[in-house]
Order: sequence, then structure tokens, then C-alpha cells
Amino acid sequence: MIYQQMAIPPRSEHLWRYTPWPRIHPSVTDEVPIADDVIFSLEGGEALEKIQQPEDSFDEIARAFLQAAGGSYNRLVIHEEPEPIHINARASGHVAVGHLDLEVKGSAVVFIHISGEPEWVGLHITGKIHPNAQLSFGFINELDSNTKFLRCEDWMIERDSELEHATLSVGGFRCKSDLRSTLNGTGASIRQSVTVNAVGARHEDEHVEIHHLHGHTNSDLVMNSACAGSSHFIGTGLLTIAEGANKSDASQVFRNLLLSEKARAEAIPELEVHADDVSAAHGAASAPVDKEQMHYLMSRGLTPEESQAMIVNGFLLNAFSNLTNKHLIEEMRTRLTVHLECELKR
Amino acid sequence: MTDEAQDVIGDYRYGFHDPENSTIRFDKGLSEQVVRDISELKNEPQWMTDIRVKAYRHFVERVMPDWGNCSLLDQIDFESIIYFLRSSTKTEKSWDEVPDDIKNTFDRLGIPDAEQKWLGGVTAQYESEAVYHSIREDLEEQGVIFLDMDSGLKQYPELIKKYFGTVIPHSDNKFSALNTAVWSGGSFLYIPKGVSVEMPVQAYFRINAKNMGQFERTLIIADEGSSVHYVEGCTAPTYSTDSLHSAVVELIAMEGAKIRYSTVQNWSSNVYNLVTKRAVAHKNATIEWVDGNIGSKLTMKYPSVLLKGEGAHAEVISVAYAGEGQHQDTGAKVHHLASNTTSNILSKSISKKGGRSSYRGLLQVSPKSTGCRSKIVCDALIFDGSSRSDTYPTMEIGNSTADLEHEASVSKVSSDQLFYLMSRGFTEDAAMGLIVNGFFEPFTRELPMEYAVELNKLLELEMEGSIG
Repeated sequence: MIYQQMAIPPRSEHLWRYTPWPRIHPSVTDEVPIADDVIFSLEGGEALEKIQQPEDSFDEIARAFLQAAGGSYNRLVIHEEPEPIHINARASGHVAVGHLDLEVKGSAVVFIHISGEPEWVGLHITGKIHPNAQLSFGFINELDSNTKFLRCEDWMIERDSELEHATLSVGGFRCKSDLRSTLNGTGASIRQSVTVNAVGARHEDEHVEIHHLHGHTNSDLVMNSACAGSSHFIGTGLLTIAEGANKSDASQVFRNLLLSEKARAEAIPELEVHADDVSAAHGAASAPVDKEQMHYLMSRGLTPEESQAMIVNGFLLNAFSNLTNKHLIEEMRTRLTVHLECELKR
Repeated sequence: MTDEAQDVIGDYRYGFHDPENSTIRFDKGLSEQVVRDISELKNEPQWMTDIRVKAYRHFVERVMPDWGNCSLLDQIDFESIIYFLRSSTKTEKSWDEVPDDIKNTFDRLGIPDAEQKWLGGVTAQYESEAVYHSIREDLEEQGVIFLDMDSGLKQYPELIKKYFGTVIPHSDNKFSALNTAVWSGGSFLYIPKGVSVEMPVQAYFRINAKNMGQFERTLIIADEGSSVHYVEGCTAPTYSTDSLHSAVVELIAMEGAKIRYSTVQNWSSNVYNLVTKRAVAHKNATIEWVDGNIGSKLTMKYPSVLLKGEGAHAEVISVAYAGEGQHQDTGAKVHHLASNTTSNILSKSISKKGGRSSYRGLLQVSPKSTGCRSKIVCDALIFDGSSRSDTYPTMEIGNSTADLEHEASVSKVSSDQLFYLMSRGFTEDAAMGLIVNGFFEPFTRELPMEYAVELNKLLELEMEGSIG
């Protein structure tokens, strides 16, 4: 369906409850702006392969909108790559949109660093992990603190393949992510972590869907957020296990650390299970900084700010604990630590 | 009972029905005139008629919920429902004066027997109105008011006017609007300051007629420092056409008061059970919802608590059993609107033979409420591949000092547990029954003993033949 024919989704859909479509749209909802390209390049400056706009149509409004807005279309096919691949996604102009299609046929580690200062950025990533392939994928959002950001991802994880997916979101002032993965073959697995450091008046809405279509599939999601200032974090998850997908194992954990009086957090980890021989669990927790931990650190000479920063650092780093690829863990930890040190010096 | 009737009823032991001997029976369908007629028939004050009419207009304008099981909700035909049916000319104080056919029904349900043994008061509602009502003399002497709602409105109009619709306004949702427009029966319970009602009081709701809608309205007010345990049971016959039960229950616990509200609904599988239940807890008050959902075609019920006073506490324990053709969409909502308020929610569900159970919850901490704590635990068992279990929890945290936890798990019955029990001589069915009773034990231990025994029997009956 094309975007202009679509109805605005109601707020009763939990995907749009806290960040309704009009709030993340770049202007008014019936308009499709002329978008500049998000420029994708490999480390060293080499551009990615450009492709024609696919003819796929989408039933989901954000994806249909990104398709209607155009922007750049890029593809990267990876067979086997021992060294990490860093892709820089640079956004500029008023409204910028980019599309990236990844196809992984061997083993690879890919990082996407998005940066720039447009008013609005849209990004749609699609990926296919072929049977027996492994991808470790890191996404780092370092957009300007005045940018609105809409991000959609669709991953197809085939038989006996594996996706490790990590997000570090520290940029943008209003961000909406809709990350969907389908475990499309026996033995497929995903380990996913989302780390959000929300400061000032940032609004961050992360929606993660994982669909187990076949049996003997595994998923593990950890979402940690630290909210300071008057920031607002929303973490929503939808985990489905299809009929007959027995021996599936799925877990979701959402944790929020609230650092100031005006910070807010919502957690909605949903679960729909249609099979009986499965293990599915989710948990959510929200709490302030532990006073005993603060006291311990301050009694060893740290200032209250340094103590809190250390606790936040440890808390957010913990979101990567379910990952296994050392390149991925190292890069995400380094980026996070550098970001938090910069925050502390401000 | 004929074989054909037995086939329709199946294992549902309350599926019997008696001949309809109504004294007043409205035609099917709903209009403003029907609403006015109900009010006139009950000789209500003008303010109540006005509320009813306003609610009816809101009901007409309000769209159906666009969430939950919309396909089942859309099947409700409001024009094929009977909105008022009077079976007895008055509410009796002695079972001997209740018409024989109705008394027989309640005898079969065991209500008079239970009343003698362990209850402080009973209201028995048959179709639209209460047919029997009694309260122990000692409670009456202490100033406890326990009446059916219609009598409450006649005898204490000012008290009802003060609190009616204050917890659940008619505009809350489509079904609360419907209830406010056509309500009939239900309980009115007032516990004076400092009075502790030791024995539970009970209301029993029975739908007998085909296509009947039951819209009882319950209001419970526990004044400062008082406490009460209210127990509610529900059954209906099994018909091939659907019935609608849409109640509104409002609880108000003043400072330091405690209300426990226990329900075991065992409606037949042709009843839509769409109920709004909400409580307000003032300073240091406690509200406990103990909620069992075994029957009905579709239940949508989320007992809620508004923790309005500092130090207030909410406890919700709910169990749901979703068998063939059933959808139990249940849960709990707690709003922490004051500081140092606490809540615990425990939800357990079983899905079997294609049934669907959903936990839908909301936990909200307002920005000004400091030091709030809450814990939510949801456990679900699925018995076969055609059944379904969902969890839709929502946590909205507006204050950084809140300490909240939520955990949920979905699994099948452990083969280790089954093996253990069977190795000690239990049959597979018996072992499964034991495991299920153990799974629901946190709920049953909160019920009065007689209810708990009955519930365990009921579950054993439901679990029969669940293996293989």
C-alpha cells in the first residue's frame, strides 16, 4: 500500500502509543517531503553499491513513508569477512533518508555509525542472514541533539544462522526505532541488546519485535536505559512464538535507571505464545540509583557526579552482556564509555 | 435433562436452567425509552434517571474498543439482548418466601447451605434483581448496611448519590456507559468507622433466561479503620445463543480501611463477561482483589486500584483458565497516585484445547509519587499446541524513586514433575490435576476454605482428559 492511502495509526496500537505518528513525521502527516540522500560509505571513503528502489510495498506506515520519501538505496553483500566493516552513514540537508540492504553469506562484523545535523533523518535497513551465516551488527546513533530520527529495520534470519545485534543510542532529540527480526528456520538465533542514554529533553522510543516462526530457535533481548534531565524513554517489545515452533527459547529483559525527578520511562514487553513446548520469559524493572552503591563510591573519594556516572556506565555496559563477538562488545563498550566521559566533562 | 441438552452443556455443572417465570420481561433491544422505563419501574429519583439517560447517550456515541479480541466483541448484538427481566416481585429475607423454582436453583448452587455455615450476609440475584437478601443481626446492630443496590438507592439515596459513579464514571468506557444506563441489582455495602466484619458477605449472580443481559452495580464503602471481605460468585445456563454480563463494581476504602473482594466467575461458555472493577484506596488503606476466571466465552476484566493516599496498598491475585472456545483477557491496573504506596500483582493462567489467555496490565507511577514499590509476576501454562498465551504489561514510571519489577514466564507442565508424581503411583490425569492445583495454590489459599475446595474440584473437572 502506498503511504498516502494509509490511515494514521491509532494510539491504541502500542507501537504508536507514546510516540504517535504525527510526532515523528517531519512535517504534517499527509505530506511526503523531498528528501536528501543519506550517504553511506565504508571506512576509507569507498561508497556502497547503489541500487534501484525496490518495488516492494509495505503495510506498515513508517516503512511505507520511508519508501515514499525516496533517498538513497544501497546494498552490501558479504561472503566472509574476518575484519570488522565500519559503514559511515552521513545525513545532511533538511530531511535525509537512506535505505541499506545487507546480505550476509558467511561470517561478518558490521558497524553503522550514523551522524549529521538535519532536522529529520529516516533510515530503513533490511538484512538477510543466509543459512549457517553469522552477523554481528552494531548500530551507533550519534546524530545531532536537535535531530528527529526514524529508524526501521527488518531482519530475516535463516536456518542455523545467527544475528548479534547491538544498538547504542546517544544522539537525536526525538528518536523512534522499529526493529523487527524473524527467525525463519530451525536453529536460527538472535541476541539483541539496546542501550540508551537519555539526557536533557531527549525522547527515545525503541520497539523491538522478534518472531519465532520455527522450532528450536533462540532469542535473547536486553534493553537498558538511563534517563536523566526531563528525558523520556519508551521500550516496547513484541515476542511471538508461532504455532508449532516448539523447543523455542525466548527471553526479554527491560531495565530502566531513572536519574532525575522529571525523567520518565515506560516498559511494555509483550509476549504472544502459540506453541506449548517452549520456554518464554520476560522481565522489566525500574529503579533509582542505589544509595548504597553511591555511598560506597563516594566513601572512596569520588564526587557524587563521578559516582553516578560510574554506576550509569556499569549499568549500560551490562546491556552488552548477552553478546559474544569480541569486536562487537569492544566497539560498543568503547563508544559508550567515551560518550559518558564527554557527558561528565560538560 | 435430555441427552441433547446434556450435549450442549457438556461438563459445565451449572449449565442447567429452569423455566422462565418472569413477572416483567422487556422486549429485546435497547433505546432511551427502555432506559427510562427501567428507571420508572424502579421508581427512582430524577437524578438517577438523568444519569441513566446521559450514560445511554454516551453508550450510543462511544465506539467499541479497538483493542483486545475485536472479532469476538464485534459479534455482540446489543439489539438481541433482554435488558430487564423481573422474576420475583420483591426481595425476600427468608429462603422460604423465595419462589420455589428460584430457590431450587440456589439450593443446587449451595448458597443457603453456605450462608448458614460461614457467611455474614447474602444477596442472591436472579436475572435483573435480587430475590433474596439477608444480613446477620449483629452486623446490622453495628451499623453495617448490606442491601441489594435497588433497596440501597431507596433507603440511602443521599449516600448513593454522593458516591455513585465517582470511581467509575459512565464515560469511562462503552460497557461502563451501558451498565450505568441499564443497571439493575448488585450490592450496596457500607461498613461504619472501625467496624471489622469477620465473616465474609456474599453475592451470587445467576443468569437463567436466554439472551439475558445482567448489569448489576456494586458499591462498597469501607469507612475509616474498617474491614470487610466480599465474595462474589457467578453462573449461567448454557444456551446456543449468547448472554452478556456487564457489571460495574466500585470500591472505596477510607483511611486505614481494608476491602478484600473475591470473585470466582464460572459463567457458561456462551456468556460475554465484560466487567469494569475499580477501587480507590485512601491513606494507609488496603484493597485486595482476588479474582478467578474459569468460565465465559470472552472475559475482559482488569480490576484496578487508584492508590490515592500515602501508604495505601493494593494486592491483586488473579487466575484464569481458558478452555475450548474461551478467551480470558484479564489483568490488573494499579495507579500509584500518592507517595510510599505499594502494590503486588500475581497472575496465573492456563490455556488448553485451543483456549487463549491474555494478561493485560498497567502499572503507573505519577510524577509526584515518591518511594513507590511494586512487583508483578505473571506465570502461564500452555497445555497444547493449539492454545495461546499472551502477556501485555505496561509500566509507566513518572517518578525516579519508584522501584518496580515485572516478570513473566510461559511454559508447559514440566515432564520432570509429571514423571515424579507418576513414579509414585498417580495416574497421568491425577498427576496433572495435582500440578494444576499447586500452580493455582497462591490464589486458592486466599479464598475462604469452602470456595477453595470448590475451585479445586472445578479445576479437576476441567482438567479431566487433558492428557494425550
